[in-house]
Amino acid sequence: MDDMKVNQNPKLGSIDRPNSYIGRSLPRENAKKHLDGGGQFVDDLVLPRMLHVAFLRSPFAHAEIKSINVDEAKKSSGVFDVYTAKEIDEFCKPWVGTLGHLGEMRSPEQTPLAKKTARWQGEPVAVVIANNRAQAEDALELIEVDWVEKDAQVDMETALDENAVIIHPELGNNLFWTRTVNQGDVVKAFEESHEVVETTLDFARHTGVTLESRGIVADWNKAETKMTIYHNGQAPHMMQHIIAKHLDVNEGLVRIVSRDVGGSFGIKVHVYPDEMAVAAISKKLGRPIKFIADRLESFTTDIHARCHKISGKLGVDKEGKILAMEINDLSGIGPFSMYPRTSAIETNQVLNLSGAPYIIPNYKAVGTVVFQNKTPMCQYRAVGHPIAVAITEALIDKAATKIGLTLDKIRKINFIPDNAYPNKCPSGVPLEDLSHQASMDKLLGMMNIAEIEKQKEDDLAKGVLTGYGVIAMCEVTNPSPLFYGVGGAHISSQDGASIRLEGSGAIHLSSSITEQGQGTEAIMKQIAADQLGVSMDTVRVTLGDTDATPYGGGTWASRGAGIGGEAVLKAARTLKNNILDIAAAIMQTNKDTLDIENNVVIRKNGEEGISLQKLAETVYYRGHEIPKGTNPELLATASFLIEGIPFVFTNSAMGCHVSIDQDTGIVKINKFWAVEDCGTQINPKLVEEQIKGGVVQGIGGALFEECVYDDQGNMQNATMADYLVPMAYEMPDIIVDHVTTNSGRSIIGAKGAGEAGTGGAPAVIMNAINNALGKVGSEVTSQPITPEKILKSMNKI
Amino acid sequence: MKAPDFSYYEAKSLSDAIKFKSQDDEAVILAGGQSLLPALNMRLSSPSCLIDISKLKDLSEIKLDDNSIYIGALATHNQVMDNSIIKENFPSLIEILKMVAHPAIRNKGTHGGSIAYGDPAAELPAFAVANSAKIILSGLNGNRSVDANDFYLGLFETDIQPDEILVGINYPLLKSNEKIVFEEVCRRHGDYAMAGLIAKVQINQSVIENIILVFFATGDRPNLTFNTSELVVKNGYDYSSLKKSLSSEIDFAGDLNSSPPMKLHLATILIGKILKKLEN
Amino acid sequence: MSIKNSVNISLSVNGESFDNVTVPTRQHLADFLRSQGLTGTHLGCEQGACGACTIEMDGKAVRSCLILASQANGSLITTVEGFDDEVMEKVKINFLKHNAFQCGFCSPGMLMTTKEIISSKKKLSRDEIRSEISGNYCRCTGYQSIVDAIEESINEIN
Repeated sequence: MDDMKVNQNPKLGSIDRPNSYIGRSLPRENAKKHLDGGGQFVDDLVLPRMLHVAFLRSPFAHAEIKSINVDEAKKSSGVFDVYTAKEIDEFCKPWVGTLGHLGEMRSPEQTPLAKKTARWQGEPVAVVIANNRAQAEDALELIEVDWVEKDAQVDMETALDENAVIIHPELGNNLFWTRTVNQGDVVKAFEESHEVVETTLDFARHTGVTLESRGIVADWNKAETKMTIYHNGQAPHMMQHIIAKHLDVNEGLVRIVSRDVGGSFGIKVHVYPDEMAVAAISKKLGRPIKFIADRLESFTTDIHARCHKISGKLGVDKEGKILAMEINDLSGIGPFSMYPRTSAIETNQVLNLSGAPYIIPNYKAVGTVVFQNKTPMCQYRAVGHPIAVAITEALIDKAATKIGLTLDKIRKINFIPDNAYPNKCPSGVPLEDLSHQASMDKLLGMMNIAEIEKQKEDDLAKGVLTGYGVIAMCEVTNPSPLFYGVGGAHISSQDGASIRLEGSGAIHLSSSITEQGQGTEAIMKQIAADQLGVSMDTVRVTLGDTDATPYGGGTWASRGAGIGGEAVLKAARTLKNNILDIAAAIMQTNKDTLDIENNVVIRKNGEEGISLQKLAETVYYRGHEIPKGTNPELLATASFLIEGIPFVFTNSAMGCHVSIDQDTGIVKINKFWAVEDCGTQINPKLVEEQIKGGVVQGIGGALFEECVYDDQGNMQNATMADYLVPMAYEMPDIIVDHVTTNSGRSIIGAKGAGEAGTGGAPAVIMNAINNALGKVGSEVTSQPITPEKILKSMNKI
Repeated sequence: MKAPDFSYYEAKSLSDAIKFKSQDDEAVILAGGQSLLPALNMRLSSPSCLIDISKLKDLSEIKLDDNSIYIGALATHNQVMDNSIIKENFPSLIEILKMVAHPAIRNKGTHGGSIAYGDPAAELPAFAVANSAKIILSGLNGNRSVDANDFYLGLFETDIQPDEILVGINYPLLKSNEKIVFEEVCRRHGDYAMAGLIAKVQINQSVIENIILVFFATGDRPNLTFNTSELVVKNGYDYSSLKKSLSSEIDFAGDLNSSPPMKLHLATILIGKILKKLEN
Repeated sequence: MSIKNSVNISLSVNGESFDNVTVPTRQHLADFLRSQGLTGTHLGCEQGACGACTIEMDGKAVRSCLILASQANGSLITTVEGFDDEVMEKVKINFLKHNAFQCGFCSPGMLMTTKEIISSKKKLSRDEIRSEISGNYCRCTGYQSIVDAIEESINEIN
């Protein structure tokens, strides 16, 4: 693999060293097993005496459960037993998906299985335990439920109306949470504006569709009173606490193991009632219990996200400088707020991040989140960003048209300048180390807009509608305790790394960050080997096991490289320091004359050194040879967390060029560009791949993906053939480049890069489509932007 | 999603399969399985028994005679695409099959299976109707031949009798002045179309003398039009008059990706697209 | 607990013989292979739509979730665990080089589709490669690096 642009972060040492790995696009040797069929996913696990479960799920969005008769089901071939809420509740305490730091938030208690009422289509109400999944499913058909179907609240826009169906009578209405952000005086500012533009956008519910579905094997060992859970989740320590708390197990005797995970994207960071039921069953029976969600139940039970209707208003002065921005956002969640991160975060990020790249002195944002009888909703890759960026960038494009500025010019005159940090979002959230100006300039250089504009006219003459868009955005990464912990969640913001030199000369590293394919193991290895001075193949890594790794938060909110990576760097430097202390003592010289290169402690003057293997052998086997007073600690642990600010932000500029078939309404994305500033890139290739994969996931939301519901609250397209995910043929090649502004918060200077693609793509695609449709006097305001919506906007239907 | 329980019988011959099928009205035929297995896995279907005919080699023959091409029911889509008789005499079929699902599905999915299943969104039923193909069924009383136009009776409803198995399809060879053209509009490559059109045209010196139009993914079965075809021959492409005619001839049924008005519009512009194709 | 309907099958998988194995009639081939410890073949949808379960049966790429184990009697099966010939080794090197996978869940099916592409000996454009892999769902990569890896493999091998 050709080395890509090598990192220039001077704090990390010279790039001319033989073991300079940070900043290089090294292939992931540890991941090669996936090409040989050697992955270890949860469904691959078989344990002795393991049983399988299948859940009976409510076919109704809202129904009373008068009675459940499981007698016939119990007699079905291969069935061990059948449980309802009665049996499960004995072993699992209910939970509430609220936190204390976001104002008043109301959500009722939730149990693993529904008790008297089912409140969404897909909610589990009974569970069959059998020898295999097929036999469990046979038994499901024999469970008799006396359902009384109720009216369902399916429309979020009427959820707060007088005659809405109140999902939780004890709450009085369907309001889950609301928040208002008010900076300055928008009313006055709009009055003073030269032009005011408005729009209302809506975004359809959609979901993650991880190729590997959710899965869990819970194994309660009665003799050891130990619960081991094999889980394809993202945050094992969070799960450790939750299992301990709700299943009444000593937290130190809960072990969560996350091996290979087939994609997560936030879907697998939440607590699911069916998975909790599985843990409860194992505790009750003292046997391993396996549950793998099949694809059909994944669609109706994995969290959904991004159902918003948002109106926005932007006021600009004569020169096009933004004076005010106002948004009003409505979002519909499920009947419960998800645990433990709450279903308020997506809207909160919309309120926090709208207008983020720009100087907007007056900003008002109102967010309302309501309950619905639909699948529960929660954080999914780029939480809230697609909506925040889309509303901001759509308004800016409209203002540009009204004022007569080009799309890039209006943005450039409103950006927070690159030299004006630290600064704040319009909402007040602190910002540091960003580069909107440089990134936009770089993007423009890549796109050649003059040529695109000229081509647009030529195309139109031939009857082909083309358009382009450019956007700027900030991405939330590397969160601090001010994200969840402050509200009472046992979600760690601090991550750790442990590193040791073994008797063989091998290096073992463990980290509390987890891997779902983004390359966590690879970058940790690169950092450790780089900072220690050893070859890559010397280092082996343990992740995803609460028994064997330091305590920490896991992987979400793009925090792995910036937080976990810094912990690895610190631990590696400490170990190096210890090694040099010992080497100096053994070699009877000054530590300053030594370094480590290619697994050898070398003398800087070129004289003979000592290999790490020999040094380790001396320490472990012949300690008597080491001078008295030396502290031969060949093990180091370090941790890191972000302090004082809620997040470390990155920034991106994105552009795209689209063609619209005026007969069919089909949109083709001809080209897509992304400039990402994520600070230090530990492995540029892996960063690039996060951007590309993220963009395609964003294209899904922009053009294809939607959970379609009928007015009874039944999902209509809950199969892999009917729910449209991006497949290869329709996707563009994406061109990625970078600006680098290292984060001043850490030595490694890395920020996150996992979500920008998904956060920005929907906005830039919508703007490009409207740029094209503008030529024929129409526009679209609803995602996914389907061919039918395009043709409707053109009055062809 | 695990399939419900059923028994399995590997047919030793065609007559064996027919006998078995006629004795059990809850038994189904297993050929390629690419439509049956998903239905079973999703528990949309619970047959008593699967009669596996996929190993009956002589049902996959592709033959050419003086005036027709015979495609055996068990010829897989990829076998049809790779076949020299088809390449030489029926290249349009190959182009159409490229739109069917994906290569791995085409390695198992059969020509007869698709015709027999009669998915209104599928290409092959419409192709058979456009070609006025003869569908050969074999039952307890021997073989019979049904015109493709008379074969599709309703949504997933065909003229196959309880004791019958579809064994092959006879397509009349194209005359020198005949052409098949097709177009479809779909969201993603390989998906079922939002609307599709297969046309069989008689052309004389760039003048269309006759055109058979069969739409798919528009209603509950392949939609053959009459008045619309006449209009095309008479006046060529005129959006509004063709749209009006189509709306009176076809009972458009909406689906997840396109409403009836959308399908009507697409059907209309598809006529324009195939006419453009003919010009080139 | 007895299986109500079962069938005996004999087949060869990656050169290993399975003789007279009793399988439930309803068990699909993917589940059979996985039950034998060959867990490289993955289930993503059991509907034939995602491509994760694609394997080689009697020389052709097929969806193993859409084939009954009963139908595989007498067949020669190759799964990802058996992709170790010279051609596939080159393909795997390119997949690693281009990071044409992240979580690895789609990879076995993607490699199988790639194997068929390479065997066809056709020199495909990037668009044509995209068409050939359009039945294999990948959520992580966005497909571009996969196209890169296949393109380089075609150029190298054919």
